[in-house]
Amino acid sequence: MRTRDTDKELLVRKRAISMLVNDGLDGFSMNKLAKACGISVATLYIYFQDKDDLIQQIGLDISRNFVASTFDGFSPDMPFAEGLRKQWENRARFAMAFPDEVAYHDMIRHTHYGDYILDEVVTTFKNVMATFIQNAITNHELKPVAPEVFWSVAYGPLYTLLRFHRERQGLGGKPFQLSDDLLEDALQMVLNGLKP
Amino acid sequence: MTVPLTHILVFRTTVQTEADKHCVSASLDAHEAILSWTIDLQDVDCVLRIVSATLAPASIIHLINKHGFACAELE
Repeated sequence: MRTRDTDKELLVRKRAISMLVNDGLDGFSMNKLAKACGISVATLYIYFQDKDDLIQQIGLDISRNFVASTFDGFSPDMPFAEGLRKQWENRARFAMAFPDEVAYHDMIRHTHYGDYILDEVVTTFKNVMATFIQNAITNHELKPVAPEVFWSVAYGPLYTLLRFHRERQGLGGKPFQLSDDLLEDALQMVLNGLKP
Repeated sequence: MTVPLTHILVFRTTVQTEADKHCVSASLDAHEAILSWTIDLQDVDCVLRIVSATLAPASIIHLINKHGFACAELE
């Protein structure tokens, strides 16, 4: 009798992420993945209905992990500065621990796969963040601004620094490594900028 | 709901296009013993995946062959 091999399934997911990030959506096929994993194509189809199902399931997994990681130790009732600091820590940790997963998510978010994944995950995320932001505005800790402005100011600097870190290069091609001190400098500037 | 792995049957077919798929879909949809099915038209093997608690591979192969397409179980 066939049994589900969890280790094999994890290997398949890991290899699929790596292949999709390196070769793109067009260069990816179930056959190539099966070969790379040393399993039969039939086994792959036991785990996933088809290529679309595989791409969506992996995307959903990454999104769920990202949301869980972002909200780890975070509560929307936290004071604004404390909550944003916790999110910066969580988002930075996830981006550094799972660079391929982040690249995968960025790659598919603007395709039809992204719509499917966002539908499933975005509601929880939105509700928690809306409460956090509303609390901060009510408590006069945050200037009321358009959501896009809030996101750009609150997280834009973090993701720019993470990109420098991922590329290991700062401005002018100089070597760059993100440190807690640099993150703290940027976070303080963000908090100052968002104050009413 | 997780499908028991013994209920999943996987075949290599020559069902290559949407029109081909349309030819076989009525039979697959109407079959009482088939709980669900998909064909991966993007794959080189045009893999047909069937979920059924009772059907043997030979029955599926016969059904697909009847429509003029090749079908072989993938091991």
